[in-house]
Amino acid sequence: MHLPRFTYKKSDSLEETAQLLSRYDTGACLMAGGTELLPRMKYGLAMPEVLISMKRSPVSSPKIGSDGDLVLSPLMTLRAVEGSSLVRENAPLLSEAVGLVGSGEIRHMGTLGGNLCQETRCLYYNQSHSFQFKKPCFKRGGDICYSIPKGKECWAVFMGDIAPALYSLEAKVKIMSRDKTRIIPIEGLYRGDGKKPLILSPHEIIGEIFIPGSNGLRGSAFSKFSFRGGLEFAVLSVAAVLDMEDDGETCRSARITVGAVAAAPVRARCAEAGIEGKNISDRSLSEAVRQALDEIRPVPHHGQTSGFLKESLKVQIRHALSVAAGRVKKD
Amino acid sequence: MKKKQGRQLIELAVNGEAYELAEEPQVTLLEVLRNDLELTGTKESCGTGECGACTVLIDGEPVLSCLTLALDCRDLDILTIEGLAKGGDLTHVQEIFLERGAVQCGFCTPGVVLATTALLKATSRPTDYEIKKALEGHLCRCTGYNKIVEAIDKVLTDGYLVNE
Ligand SMILES: Cc1cc2nc3c(=O)[nH]c(=O)nc-3n(C[C@H](O)[C@H](O)[C@H](O)COP(=O)(O)OP(=O)(O)OC[C@H]3O[C@@H](n4cnc5c(N)ncnc54)[C@H](O)[C@@H]3O)c2cc1C
Ligand code: SF4
Ligand code: FES
Ligand code: FES
Repeated sequence: MHLPRFTYKKSDSLEETAQLLSRYDTGACLMAGGTELLPRMKYGLAMPEVLISMKRSPVSSPKIGSDGDLVLSPLMTLRAVEGSSLVRENAPLLSEAVGLVGSGEIRHMGTLGGNLCQETRCLYYNQSHSFQFKKPCFKRGGDICYSIPKGKECWAVFMGDIAPALYSLEAKVKIMSRDKTRIIPIEGLYRGDGKKPLILSPHEIIGEIFIPGSNGLRGSAFSKFSFRGGLEFAVLSVAAVLDMEDDGETCRSARITVGAVAAAPVRARCAEAGIEGKNISDRSLSEAVRQALDEIRPVPHHGQTSGFLKESLKVQIRHALSVAAGRVKKD
Repeated sequence: MKKKQGRQLIELAVNGEAYELAEEPQVTLLEVLRNDLELTGTKESCGTGECGACTVLIDGEPVLSCLTLALDCRDLDILTIEGLAKGGDLTHVQEIFLERGAVQCGFCTPGVVLATTALLKATSRPTDYEIKKALEGHLCRCTGYNKIVEAIDKVLTDGYLVNE
């Protein structure tokens, strides 16, 4: 499979990339690891005039900022995140999630920023459309959806593994363009629209990722369900964080985020509120699972029905919560 | 802006030999290896990151050559399957793969052997889990994977060090 033609620019810093993006207007696109962009270009789903490669750009190391946040460069490869002891000590949930992305090769090439900025996916959309007799779907500029034919909109699903983990860690991202930077909660990065999942304009990029430190007892777990268990996107994923009172038994605050069930990760807010202030027990965890199933409606995707996804969700949330509870300790 | 960029000069080393090439931006490392250097040991199957057949080692690390732009390979050291055997002598990993039936049609083999070689250089005693994790990105439609893992176990019980 061949790539379409483009003009190649190399950039050695995020600032330089922001400059170039504003110079080339909407025709340019940043490439970090290329593991998401290049397949999309081969399929004809992305056609940048100018590709700005940051493949060989220097990457700043993870550090703890003055306010105690763990600060990560979006250019870090997933492998580098996986191997970082600073990340493992301060955000073990992220280390766990990163280790489950794609394959060793994908993790070695793919970056954090690229993972967060990946497109939504569906069985029809993610293929070459050059020899096909079907009319384009909503996401390709048409007016039909092949995934949910009765639907009047695009139902493509966001399948990235890192965003759910960052939701549960209450991370923030710095968004930068040539002239402006702003810091927003990670949840603000996603629009919840399958057709256009990210809020970023063509001139904007992620400049940094901030993960607040936890001061107290915490247990976390990332649970990813897939059929092969490797080189595979999640059928669904759950990222759970339990922050505990000093007694180690009462939950002070909980964050449960589910991935690959909608166009953006989804927080199970009622379930979270339900366990807060309670003792962690079989009973309270089962109650949280029940509440999560009430509030989350998985979008059927990749041949899985919503009924099957609900059953899987039940198992995965319960698993993530039990593992998180078993890991409660001073992070 | 509409005019597309032409070829650019790059220098890279493949299997210890230096090359100077002129490539267009859209050319992948896989295309350079197979079409320009005629090193057809590196295979293309999916072209989109989903099979591992195109794996080569860049600075010792397994990389998918189908998702690597040639222009991003300036001054890099690339090892393909052709670069493993020295003077016709297969490496121990290659020998054991043959002996144990871990090679059948052979299409996935270059990628699997290179990923295995990188694993054994980085980790002298990988567990079964670590072996499977290192090979999770490699699809094999023939061996059922067990023969591959068994071959690697044999390499380990032989106590062979993979340093060349
Ligand atoms: C076979 C296969 C399996 C995969 N499995 C998984 C999986 O299990 N889980 C998962 O989450 N992902 C998976 N992926 C998707 C992808 O490889 C990873 O998400 C990877 O982390 C993407 O990073 P990248 O640097 O390669 O992205 P790129 O391809 O370089 O970029 C992807 C997109 O993000 C944009 N981008 C990159 N960096 C930034 C930035 N700093 N600011 C703004 N925009 C940016 C690019 O412009 C581009 O649009 C898989 C991919 C393949 C091919
Ligand atoms: S879900 Fe979106 S991308 Fe998939 S067929 Fe429907 S409109 Fe197209
Ligand atoms: S050809 Fe590169 S991963 Fe399949
Ligand atoms: S030996 Fe045939 S694909 Fe692996």
